[in-house]
Amino acid sequence: MPQLNPEFFVSQLFWLVVTFSFLLFFLWKISLPRISKVLEKRQNIISNDIETAKKLQTEAEQIQNEIDRQLTSARDQASNIIKKSNLKLKNTFAKELSKIDNDLSKKIDETSVIIENNKKDSLNKISNQILEITKLITAKLSSVSFNDKEIKASITKAQSGPIN
Amino acid sequence: MSSSETKHSPLEQFEIIPLIDIKSGNLDLSVTNSSISMIITVVIITLFITFSVNTRAIVPSRLQLLSELSYDFIAQLLKDTVGNEGRKYFPFVFTIFMFVLIGNMVGMIPYSFTFTSHIIVTFALAAVVFIGVTILGFIKHGFHYFSLFIIPGLPWYMLPLLIPIEVISYLSRPISLSVRLFANMLAGHTLLKVFAGFVVSLGFAGFLPLAFIVALTGLEILIAFLQAYVFAILTCLYINDALHLH
Repeated sequence: MPQLNPEFFVSQLFWLVVTFSFLLFFLWKISLPRISKVLEKRQNIISNDIETAKKLQTEAEQIQNEIDRQLTSARDQASNIIKKSNLKLKNTFAKELSKIDNDLSKKIDETSVIIENNKKDSLNKISNQILEITKLITAKLSSVSFNDKEIKASITKAQSGPIN
Repeated sequence: MSSSETKHSPLEQFEIIPLIDIKSGNLDLSVTNSSISMIITVVIITLFITFSVNTRAIVPSRLQLLSELSYDFIAQLLKDTVGNEGRKYFPFVFTIFMFVLIGNMVGMIPYSFTFTSHIIVTFALAAVVFIGVTILGFIKHGFHYFSLFIIPGLPWYMLPLLIPIEVISYLSRPISLSVRLFANMLAGHTLLKVFAGFVVSLGFAGFLPLAFIVALTGLEILIAFLQAYVFAILTCLYINDALHLH
């Protein structure tokens, strides 16, 4: 087996030491720091990005909350305004209505007073005319003359009670 | 072994061929196919790891992602087994992992040489881990490091039996670590070569072993990764033992 032939042991060991030490030194001092720097840089960028994303997210949430709050307050205000104007309208409506009612009833009262007066006048006139007619009739039919008072009394009697 | 014997031996692929003779005193430091393979491995790793992250892109390209994934893979492994104190040893564990992994993978290329199939190489790597971890343990804990051999919660009369067992298991760490990688690579590549021989010798029926070789190559690539992973994770576990004892 060539492996057990010591002829080239020294040469192999020598070249192993040379190549291995060169590789160790080269990787240690040059290559590995490069890789670790790249990895570190990437890790930093990633964690920075994550941090920024988190910050932005919180900001967005805050803005969202603010919008929600403003929306709610706007809605509240709007419903308040609607309520107020409703109330105002109702009040105005009721006021106007009662005013019209008052006017109307006043007019009705006035008119009924006029009507009542007219009725009284007419009644008076009618009874006077009845009196005149009665006087005329009695004067034509008999010589007995009645004074106004007696006639009036008999008319009232005839009007109120049944004729006996 | 004579050259006529090794001509068609499945072990021929493990033969070391000197390419450029270099002698320093009595030492033979020749550039061989093994050292070429090591150099290719190191060049691939350095070029890949260095140039894939050249742009230092925040959104990585595929190549950059690949080297970042291997970085993360070992970093996570070290963190899971050792914890945060293990960060100091990350370059070492990463180098071990990449060196063994790419060494195994380069060996999977046909006609290339697999340096991890040589016991001297794997043993040297394991010895570096073993000696390093032992020194680390003594620096960290002083003589208290010997308490690694005492399993806590055990009755005292068991100690004479168990301390030698623990010492032996500690000392056999580099052997098991190196032999595991070496034997896996040796067996896999030998098996591939044996079946490749069948393809030729069976003639028309050779497509059967050929299909087997295709499947086996997939398995070997898996083993190449798995052995690198095992080597790295055991290194992590030994570092953990040295740092935290029990």
